[in-house]
Amino acid sequence: MQVHLKKAARFVIFPLHSMMRWIQIKCLAAFTLAVTAACVPADKRRPGDLRGFVLPEGRPKPSFVMTDTEGGAFDFRAETTGYLAFLFLGYTNCPDVCPVHMANLGAVLATLPSSLSSRVRVVMVSVDPDRDTPERLRAWLDQFDRSFIGLRGDSTQLAELERNLSVAHAVVSDEDEDRSNGYLVGHASQVFVFSPDDSLRVFYTFGTRQSDWAHDIPLLLEGAADSQ
Amino acid sequence: MSEVAWWCSTQGGPWTWSWRPYVGVWIIVAVLLTWYVVGVVRSPSLTRGVRSRFWSFVAGLGVFVIAADWPVAALGASHLLSMHTLQYMLYAFGIPGFIIYGVPPDHLRRVVSRQPIRSLLKLFNRPLPALIGFNLILLATHLPNVVDGLTATQMGSFVINMAWLFSGFLFWWHIIGPLPEMNPMSYPKRLLFLLANVFAPVVPASFMLFSKFPIYSTYELAVRVGSLTSIDDQRIAAVVMKVLGVFILLGIGSVLFFKWNRHENDPVLEVIGDGG
Repeated sequence: MQVHLKKAARFVIFPLHSMMRWIQIKCLAAFTLAVTAACVPADKRRPGDLRGFVLPEGRPKPSFVMTDTEGGAFDFRAETTGYLAFLFLGYTNCPDVCPVHMANLGAVLATLPSSLSSRVRVVMVSVDPDRDTPERLRAWLDQFDRSFIGLRGDSTQLAELERNLSVAHAVVSDEDEDRSNGYLVGHASQVFVFSPDDSLRVFYTFGTRQSDWAHDIPLLLEGAADSQ
Repeated sequence: MSEVAWWCSTQGGPWTWSWRPYVGVWIIVAVLLTWYVVGVVRSPSLTRGVRSRFWSFVAGLGVFVIAADWPVAALGASHLLSMHTLQYMLYAFGIPGFIIYGVPPDHLRRVVSRQPIRSLLKLFNRPLPALIGFNLILLATHLPNVVDGLTATQMGSFVINMAWLFSGFLFWWHIIGPLPEMNPMSYPKRLLFLLANVFAPVVPASFMLFSKFPIYSTYELAVRVGSLTSIDDQRIAAVVMKVLGVFILLGIGSVLFFKWNRHENDPVLEVIGDGG
């Protein structure tokens, strides 16, 4: 009798025991998944939405002439008409924002079909023309993409451009200190994108990812900013 | 020398070769080493295999320092996904094996009899929960939002690293099977367990290898180290996870196979077990 009872108890307890183990495992799995899900924000963007900041109204493309890395005059408005033009104000000694922006743009352009990438112009205006000699600027840009255009202008031209783009004026940090050890320049980190019809519709802040650029460039070439 | 931090987390700016101390790492090493020297090495019960176990424990701590301290951790938290992946390999496949083997069975028994380890072992002493736990941690800690979200803070980074370490203990506990009374798996089952753990790393490694763009913003928006692009770094990370992982698992598999062979041919070992 006792043996039968033991057998019966084992028959009941063992499945219960296994079930409890499975519940523990499932609880662990559910907890891990819940924590993971909590870390994954829901993406509310629609596929046709641009990932940059779209301006409510288009603004005219600034007209300025600066010197390119070959020493020639570069008329920004004339040379970029009909192209999707990316304008960025940066400098080659920048420790973070500039190389990351340029590297990501260069990497994305390399992945696009040439039918698209050939319709894009990337222009960087130096905010540190004293150190950014034409040779240095060219060599620095060539690390990312040989088609990138580097421009240098005087302080008046730069201030005028910054005013035009409604960004803060680039300032040298620790201006009073000895500059022989190098210095930093505080500057706008946005990349301004002008559509082929010469208007500013959208800009991108630091943090824009390659997948964002790759998503937006074909849309921008199709004129998506006009409809948003 | 830069400012002192508790644990390594994402730092902005370019990479510099200036040493940065991580206090948490050295505190953990000091505590474990003190515990080992005071509690284990001086113990009269430790007579057999003391030297190899001691050096195994020290090697475990050494691998921990390599994984958690400058420069590997600093590069892995801020600049290079390949270093982050190397950290994972060291935490999951390096440290726990040395540590478990390094602690003599008598002391290991004392450790595992204490809470909360006893409760954890109730669940994870079975291979299936351990397999699930190891693989869930691997997958969850390689999700882009988890990596980008947690490595940004010292606490988050610490949580990821400890999760890796924990998953490594789950894995190695069954591979080494250090305590005969806890029903370690037979060698063929251990080899099966090893084989079952080969597949999950393929998932993050494949995403890293075949993704057109960088999948982690931490490394994509970091200043590059040298001329390595973020996508090349990501591919190297995939290779580290896959190739290094396969070599490690093959190595472990070979050791298990030969131990199995020795075990089968030695009647004494067959009766008493060889304690891993």
